Amino acid sequence: MEAHVARNLLVAGLALAAGLAAWRVRRSPFWSERLAEVAWRRPLALAVIAGFAAVAALDTVSWRGAPEGAGLTEPRSALVRVFPDEFREASYSAPFADVEFYGGAPLRHPGRHVLGTDILGRDVLLLTLQGAKVALLVGGLTCLIAVPLALLFGVPAGWFGGRLDDLVFFLVSTLASMPSILLLIALVTAIGRGPVQVCFALAVTGWVGFCRLARAETLKIRELDYVQAARALGVPTRRILWRHVLPNLTHLIVITFVLTFSGLVLSEAVLSWLGLGLDGSWGQMIDQARDELSRAPVIWWNLGAASAALFTLILAVNRVGDAVRDVLDPRTVRERA
Amino acid sequence: MRLAAALALLALACGNNPYPGADDALRVLYTPYSEPPKTLDPQVAYATVDHDVLSNVYETLLEYHYLHRPYELIPALVTAVPEPRRLDGGGVAYAFELRPGIAYGADPCFALGTPGATSRELVASDVAFGLQRIADPAVGSPVLVTFAKIRGLAAFGERLAQRRAEQPGFAALRIDEQYRRAGPVEGLRVSDPHRLEIVLDAPYPQILYWFAMPFTSPVPWEAVAWYDGAAGRPLFPEVAVGTGPFRLARYDKRSRIVLDRNPDWWGVRHPEWKAPAATYPSDGEPDDAARGVLDPHLAGHPLPFLDRIEMRLEKETIPAFAKFMQGYYDRSAIPKESFDRTVSEGRLSPEMEAGGMRLERAVRPGVYYLGFNMIDPVVGAPAGERGRKLRQAMSLAVDVPEFLRVFLNRRGIPAQSPIPPGIFGHDPEYRNPYRSLDLERARALLAEAGYQGGFDPATGRPLRISFDTPDTTVQSRLRFQFLIDGWKRLGLDVELAATSYNQFRDKVRNGAYQLFFWGWVADYPDPENFLFLLWSEMAQTKSGGPNTANFSDPRFDALFHELKDRENDARRAALIREALALLESERPWIELFHPEDYALVHGWLDGLKPMGLPVPVWKYYAVEPEARAEARAAWNRPVRWPAYALAGLAAAGLAPALATWRRERRA
Amino acid sequence: MTAWLARRLLWGAATVLGVLGFLFVLFFATADPEDIAKRALGEKAPPEAVAQWIANHGYDRPRVWNPADPTDTMLFEHYRRMLAFDFGRSDADDVPIAQRLRAGVGVSLSLTVPLFLLGIPLALGASLLVAFFRETYIDRAGVVLAVVAMSVSILIYILAGQYVVGVLLRWFPISGFDIDPAVVARFLALPVGVGLLHGLGSDVRFYRTVFVEETSRDYVRTAFAKGAGDGRVMARHVLPNAMLPILTHEVVRIPGLFTGALLLESFFGIPGLGSMTVDAINANDFATLRVMVYVGALLFIAAQIATDVAYTVADPRVRLG
Repeated sequence: MEAHVARNLLVAGLALAAGLAAWRVRRSPFWSERLAEVAWRRPLALAVIAGFAAVAALDTVSWRGAPEGAGLTEPRSALVRVFPDEFREASYSAPFADVEFYGGAPLRHPGRHVLGTDILGRDVLLLTLQGAKVALLVGGLTCLIAVPLALLFGVPAGWFGGRLDDLVFFLVSTLASMPSILLLIALVTAIGRGPVQVCFALAVTGWVGFCRLARAETLKIRELDYVQAARALGVPTRRILWRHVLPNLTHLIVITFVLTFSGLVLSEAVLSWLGLGLDGSWGQMIDQARDELSRAPVIWWNLGAASAALFTLILAVNRVGDAVRDVLDPRTVRERA
Repeated sequence: MRLAAALALLALACGNNPYPGADDALRVLYTPYSEPPKTLDPQVAYATVDHDVLSNVYETLLEYHYLHRPYELIPALVTAVPEPRRLDGGGVAYAFELRPGIAYGADPCFALGTPGATSRELVASDVAFGLQRIADPAVGSPVLVTFAKIRGLAAFGERLAQRRAEQPGFAALRIDEQYRRAGPVEGLRVSDPHRLEIVLDAPYPQILYWFAMPFTSPVPWEAVAWYDGAAGRPLFPEVAVGTGPFRLARYDKRSRIVLDRNPDWWGVRHPEWKAPAATYPSDGEPDDAARGVLDPHLAGHPLPFLDRIEMRLEKETIPAFAKFMQGYYDRSAIPKESFDRTVSEGRLSPEMEAGGMRLERAVRPGVYYLGFNMIDPVVGAPAGERGRKLRQAMSLAVDVPEFLRVFLNRRGIPAQSPIPPGIFGHDPEYRNPYRSLDLERARALLAEAGYQGGFDPATGRPLRISFDTPDTTVQSRLRFQFLIDGWKRLGLDVELAATSYNQFRDKVRNGAYQLFFWGWVADYPDPENFLFLLWSEMAQTKSGGPNTANFSDPRFDALFHELKDRENDARRAALIREALALLESERPWIELFHPEDYALVHGWLDGLKPMGLPVPVWKYYAVEPEARAEARAAWNRPVRWPAYALAGLAAAGLAPALATWRRERRA
Repeated sequence: MTAWLARRLLWGAATVLGVLGFLFVLFFATADPEDIAKRALGEKAPPEAVAQWIANHGYDRPRVWNPADPTDTMLFEHYRRMLAFDFGRSDADDVPIAQRLRAGVGVSLSLTVPLFLLGIPLALGASLLVAFFRETYIDRAGVVLAVVAMSVSILIYILAGQYVVGVLLRWFPISGFDIDPAVVARFLALPVGVGLLHGLGSDVRFYRTVFVEETSRDYVRTAFAKGAGDGRVMARHVLPNAMLPILTHEVVRIPGLFTGALLLESFFGIPGLGSMTVDAINANDFATLRVMVYVGALLFIAAQIATDVAYTVADPRVRLG
C-alpha cells in the first residue's frame, strides 16, 4: 500500500476513534460532566488545540492529482492544495512584500506571502502550518507508546508486589538514574532518526514517572472494598485488572497525557537543535532561523512564526492541562469540595 | 529595598568586555577559533586550527614569501632554498644548511639531555628525528605516503615496528634510543650538526613545498620522551616545544589558548641576519602598497610585532561576528548572514568604513564539488554511455551562480575544472560546456540516456538517486535541498541521505553511495595536488585513498602519470588541458565553485594579507592598542533605560495590591 | 533504621551496575571501535595507526565473552575500571578524564550553583507573593504569567536573551567564559538570568500549588481564627510545612548541578561538564560518556537516599518499613 494512502486511512481511523470516544463519554455521566466543565473553563484553549488538530489532519490527508505526461504526479496534501501551485520564490522575502529581500528582484507571487519566505523561498505560513502535524505526532505518538508501556510495568508491579515489584523498581531506577537527554541522544543515534524512532526514544525516557504513579494508584485500588471482594470471590486476576483497575486509572492517564504533551514537544525542539529532531518541525525551523536574527535588517518572520506557533500550542495545552487536572485529580477535587 | 539596591548595583557594574582591563595597553591579538585543535604534534596535525596554533611555535626549514604571488618559497631555518642534485641511479638529493645558533624555547624537557638545561641549539638531527617520526607507526602520521619517497624511510618504520613487536623491552626504551637501534635511514644524511641531506628515489619537485609544512618541523627528542603522560605531565600532542617566535603559554583547548612572545627567538636575537623569515618584506605585489601591507612602520622591520595572541573558542559564527563588531576580536570571517550589511558591490558599507574596518578577500586554492561514485551500476562506469549521459545531464542542471548568491552571497567563483585560480594549469578563459545551466539540453541528454522525463523505465517512477552526506547540520540540508530542487526540474528524484559520520564512512567503504558533496583545499600550490584526487591509485573503495569518486580511467591515469612530476612547462600545460577535456565528458565530478574568503579586519590591525595556505602569519601582524581601546569604549556603552522602565512597571503593577493590603491591615 | 539503610544502599549499588550495563549495550550498538579511532585520529589516518589506536585503548578484545579468559573482555574491563574509579583517558584526544572532570566541575558549578541558589528564593518569593494575594488579580495574573513562561521553549529564552541583552542592550558579553574573578560575573550573568527565567514559570506554579494546599489546611484556619496576621501565618506555619515537598523537589535536582546545564553551557560557550558531555556525544567518545553517566547516576542515587533519610528525620509521621 502506498504511504499516503496509509496516512489517509490513519486519519480516518483517528476520526473514527475520536467519534467512538465521544459516544462513550456521552454515555457516562462522570465523564461528560467532567469534560463539559473543562470545556466551559477553557473554551479558547480548546478551540486553539482543535484548530491545530484540524490543520494537522488537513496536512496528512493527501492524494495524487491528474497524471501529467508519462508518469504519476506526487501526492499532495489538502493543506498544500489550499495554497497556489509552485508557491515558492528564489530566496528570502518579507511578509506581504513585492520584491525579494536581497537584491529586490520581483517575486513570482507578489504580496501573497503572509509570513514571508525562508532562505529556500518556501512560504513560511505553509511551513508553520505543516509543523503542527509534526508537533501533534510527537506528542501523540510518544504518549501512545509511553502510557501502555508504563501501565504494562506499573500495574502488575503494584498488583502482584514482591519480586515483580522489585524487578520493576530496579528497571525504573536504572532508567531514571541516567540523565534523560543523554539517554535520548544515545537512543536516537542507535535506532535512527525517523519519526517512529524519535517518538520511541522520547517514550523510553519519559515513561518512568507515569509508571511510578500507576503503581502507587494500583496499590491503593487493590485495597478498595469492592476490589477485595472480587478477589475473595475468585474473579480471575485478568478480569479484575481490566474491569476494575484500569478504568480507575483512566483519569490519571488523561491527566498524564495532557500534562506531558507539552513537555514532549518542547523536548523535540531541543532535539532539533542537536540535529536529531524530526523534519519539518517547529524546532527545526527555529534551529534553521537561529542565525537570521543577526542580520541587518533583521529577518524575524521565520523565527517569529515558528516560535509563535510553538508557544500558542504549548500554552493552550498547558491551560487545558491545568483545567483537566483540577477537574479530574481526586486530591484537588476533594479540596474544592 | 535591599533587592532594589542590589539590582541597581548590578545595572551599574555591567559591561560586555570579556577581557580584564589590565590587557588594554598590550599589543595583543584577539582571534576566535571554531573547534578545539585535535593535536599539536606537527607530524600528525592536519586541521587548520591545529596548524594555526602550532605553526607559531614550531618552525619549518622553508616558508612562503608573505607578499609575493604566485607563492614563492623562502628559506626559514635554513640559509637558502636548496637546488636538486641528480644522482647516478636516478635519485635526487637536496642539501639543507641550517642556520647556526637557533635555540629552542625554554622547556624542562631538555633536562633529559643535559641535567639542568632548559634549552639547547637546534641541530640537523632534530630535522631527521622529525622525518623519522613520520615513518614511526606509533605516531600515526597521515603523510607517510609522500615521505616514503625518501630512500629508506619506509623501511626504517618497518624495522622499528618489527623490533618493538619481537624484542621484549624495546618499546620501553627512550625514543631516541629506539630510533638509533632501528638503524639509520639511507636517505637522511646528517654530516655535521648544521647540514642535512635528503635523498629521494625519484624526482619529485613538489617535495620542497612539503618542507614549508609543519610535517617537516624539527622536533627535539627530549620533548617526545619527556611528555609521555607519566607523573601528571601532559602528552606530547598537548604541548608545543619549538624554536618559533611564540611560545604556548596556556592550552585550555576547549576554551582558551594563549601564545606568548618568545624573547629568545633567533629572529629577535639576531636581527643582523636580516633573515627573510624574521623580517617583514619590503616588496610585494603591485597593489600591496595601496592595501596598506607595505606601510613604513612594517616594511623591513624585524618580526614579531605582537606581545601575545589570545585565542577563544567560538563554536557559532554569529556570536563570533557580533563580538567582532563590538571590537572584541580583531579579525573575523564574514558570516554570510551579515554579508549584505557589510559588503555591497564588493566594497564595505559606509557604516563599516567609518568604523575604520577593512575588507580582505582572497581566493582559497580549493574546489567544492559533487562527486559520482563511478563504480555504482546506475550512475557510474558500469552503466556505460547511459551513465555518462546521465551524469552530463545532471551536471547541466546545477545553477552554481544562484547557489553562490543564496548561500554564500557570491563569495566564490563558479568552477569549470578541479584546478583553482593561482595554480598552474588554471585557464581563466576555459569554459566547461557542462558547467552551465542548460535544462533543455539536460532533458535531451536524459532522454538519450533512456530516462525520458526523468522516469526510470524499469519502475515507471522517477529515477531515484541517493545523495549521501555525513553533514547533518541544518545549514547543509538547506544547501543540498537547493541542489535537489534543481534536479527535480529534470524529473529526477534525488533523495538526501544525511547520516552520522560513521555511517557515511561505512557506506563509502562498501561502495554503497551514488552522489556526494566534498571539498578539497590545496596542501601546496601545484596541480598535482588536485588531479591526484581522480587518480585510480587513490580510489577510495579500493585502497582508502581520497579519490572518493572511485574514478578509474586508464587514459586519465596515463596523462596524470606523465604530468605529475613535471616542471611547469608547455608540455605540462598541454597534458593538463587534455586531462581536463577527458573529465569534461566523463563527468566523475560536477565542479561547483572555488571558495573565496572575505575577512573583515579592524583598522587597528595591520600587516594582514590572506594567504590561503597553512602558513604562520601571525608574526607579521601588528596592532594599535590605544585605537582599539578607544573604539571599544565608544561602541559598547550599555543601554540602561530598559532596566529602569522594567523596575518602574513592576512597582506600578504591585502598588494597588500593596495599598489594599496596607489598608486591610490597619482596619 | 540501619537495616533499611543497608537495603537501600544495596539497591543503589544494584542500580549503578544496571546503569553501567545498559550504557555498555547501548553504546556498542551504535559505533564500532574503528570509527571511534578514525574520529580521534582524523579520516586521513593510515590503517596501521587505526589498528594501533584500537589496541592501545583496549578495543580489540572480545566484547562480552572470552572463553580463553573470562576477565579479558571489554565488558569486564568496563565494570572493573568504573567500580575502581579508574576513569582512564578520553577516546577523542587521550587527555585523562579525571583531569577533565576536575577542570570542568568548577566551571559547571560556578554556573549551576548560583542558578540553583538564586532560583529557590526567587521562586519561593514569587509564589509566596502570589499565594499571599490569593484570588486577587495578582494571583490570577501570576498563574497566567507562570503558565505563559512555562510554554516558551528554552531555545527561545536563550536566543532572545542573547540578542536582546547581548546585542541590543550590550549589558553583558553574548557568550564566553573566563574564570578570572574580575570578569567571571559578567559571563555568568546572562546564562544564569536566562536559566532562572526559564525555570521560574514551572517552579512558581508548583510552589503555589503546595502553598495553596497548605493554606487550606485546618491548622491554618485555626491560626487565622486565633487572630494571627497574614504574614505571620505564611511565614511561621505555611512555609515550614510546605518545605518538605519543596525540598524533595529541589534535592532531586542537585545531581544535575554537576552534570551541568547542557544547553546553557553549549549556547553560552561555558567549558563545563555539560559542554564536555555534548562534545563527547558528537565525537562518540565512549570513555568520557561512560564516566559522565556513571557519575550522574551515583549522584542521583545518593541524592535519593539522602532525601529518604531526610524525610524520615524531618517528618516523624513517615516511617519507612
